Amino acid sequence: MKKSLLLIAVMLVLPTLMISCATTGDLEKVQAQQKMSDAKAEQALKDAQAAKTAADAAKVNADAAKVNADAAKVKADETSVRAENAIKAAEERERIADEKAKKADEAFQKSMKK
Amino acid sequence: MSSWSNIGDQIRGFLHYDIDGPITGARSGGVERLQGLNETAGLPMRKVLAEPMFRISDLSLSCNRLRLTALCIFIFSLSGCAAMKSVPETAESFPSHREKEIERNKFPVARGEDVIGRLAVIRLEKGDTLPDIARHFSLGINAISAANPGVDVWVPEAGERILLPLSFILPDTPRKGIVVNLATMRLFQYKEDGASLLVTTYPIGVGTNERPTPTGRMHVARKAARPTWHVPASIAKDHRKKGDILPKAVPPGPENPLGEYALYLSKSGYLIHGTNKPASIGLTATNGCLRLYPENVKTLFDDTPVKTPVLIVNQPYLIGQRDGVLYLEAHTPMEGSGAHESENLYRKLRTIEKEARRTLDWKKVKEAQAEARGIPVPIFELIQGSEKEVAKPVEVEHPETLYGKPEIPALKLEAWYVLAGDVHDKIEAQRIAAIINHQGPPIPARVVSKSDSYLVVAGPFNDGSEAKKAAKRLKIDLEIDGIVIELLK
Repeated sequence: MKKSLLLIAVMLVLPTLMISCATTGDLEKVQAQQKMSDAKAEQALKDAQAAKTAADAAKVNADAAKVNADAAKVKADETSVRAENAIKAAEERERIADEKAKKADEAFQKSMKK
Repeated sequence: MSSWSNIGDQIRGFLHYDIDGPITGARSGGVERLQGLNETAGLPMRKVLAEPMFRISDLSLSCNRLRLTALCIFIFSLSGCAAMKSVPETAESFPSHREKEIERNKFPVARGEDVIGRLAVIRLEKGDTLPDIARHFSLGINAISAANPGVDVWVPEAGERILLPLSFILPDTPRKGIVVNLATMRLFQYKEDGASLLVTTYPIGVGTNERPTPTGRMHVARKAARPTWHVPASIAKDHRKKGDILPKAVPPGPENPLGEYALYLSKSGYLIHGTNKPASIGLTATNGCLRLYPENVKTLFDDTPVKTPVLIVNQPYLIGQRDGVLYLEAHTPMEGSGAHESENLYRKLRTIEKEARRTLDWKKVKEAQAEARGIPVPIFELIQGSEKEVAKPVEVEHPETLYGKPEIPALKLEAWYVLAGDVHDKIEAQRIAAIINHQGPPIPARVVSKSDSYLVVAGPFNDGSEAKKAAKRLKIDLEIDGIVIELLK
């Protein structure tokens, strides 16, 4: 009985010891792994944050570029419209001048009658 | 560095040599040439011979450079040739020599020839107008405008070259007495001079479309110096509508539109006369009469006896020959006569083509007809090789003063003026002033520049009534609302 008890005890203690020993190593391992994964996670987070920051910055840049491009397009359109208007105005001025010259000439010819 | 500078020197030397002496060829002349080059570059020959490798590499490099230089010279010479090509054309259009005078009225007519006079060019000066140039050279405003399309009649650019259409094809009529061509607005007076024939030609003003000059045969019935103008009822009515009441008769003087001389035609109511509006010569502005410049009507009056036959025709397309070349002179046809006259022209040309048994350049004919510049254009060689004889325009010197150009007295204080315009465009102001200046009787006018606009000022006038009269004329004749102003010291 004692023997059995002892055996049972040994069988209980030994695995427990063994388990406890494994747990410590594992714990260290796990702790190390944990630390590593923490570090990795932290790094990933940092990377993600950096990436996000970069993405945000890129977005801001892109937005700014878009705004610039839009502004440039608006400016180009304005310039083109202004040039067209200037051409139209010049043509109109020329037409008016021609008309005035024609009118003046007609008046002159009329004035030459008896 | 030294080799590059040396090569540079050699090229400079080569160019120097090339300019000063003949090129003996890029390959020949080896050492002598190098010697020459180095001497030119200021290097002693000894140094070159002591460095054979350098010399070879130098030579190959310099050869490339020399080839490049030769290529450049070749290209420049090509462009030079191209530039030279354009020279004869320019010279053809604008002769280099200038003549002081050119005949404008009186020409001999060679037997069998139909073209008289010659074309000329003149360089405009500041303040010239085409009517001033036209009058000086005895041309109508129609002729000078048609010959110079695109040139501003009133404000042409100074320095511009103007073609003077002083070559004419005689109308297709018997060469006797007075012949008037309404389409070209010219009068021709033929005179026998022994065995030869002389023609005197003047520009004229003719009737409007509403009151056209009649065509046909008639003669000079009587002549009168300093005629009185008996105002026709139709003209009195037209003037009344504008608020201008004319007297029944206008005595001789500056207000008389007949001018100083009149030749009364056998067709009642029609006259050949002078004018008090010289700028109207070359316009359809009369009531059927024929107007001449004052200086021309005097000569015609003196040279024309009563009973001289007068033939009035309408020939916008004239063909005639000179020195074996057939010419076409095309004018804008008068309203309604274009198609008929064009048909006549083609019929005549087809006959000529058939007789010559050669094809006419119809493209040339149509071009001349479409341009209607009123100048004789060579269209066909009646004798082959004769087109070389086509006379080139002669350049005429600009006279010191243009005959009949309106004079503008200087501005003065204590005088009356009429403010005829206040405009922003300088050319517009100059045009208005020129038109006012060319009224008949003349009204002096000038442009006075303000800070932001240009004033057209007529005057000076001695008193208020004179200024008011001018303002009234501006209103009636040119529809200008002038403001009478008096300047005081």
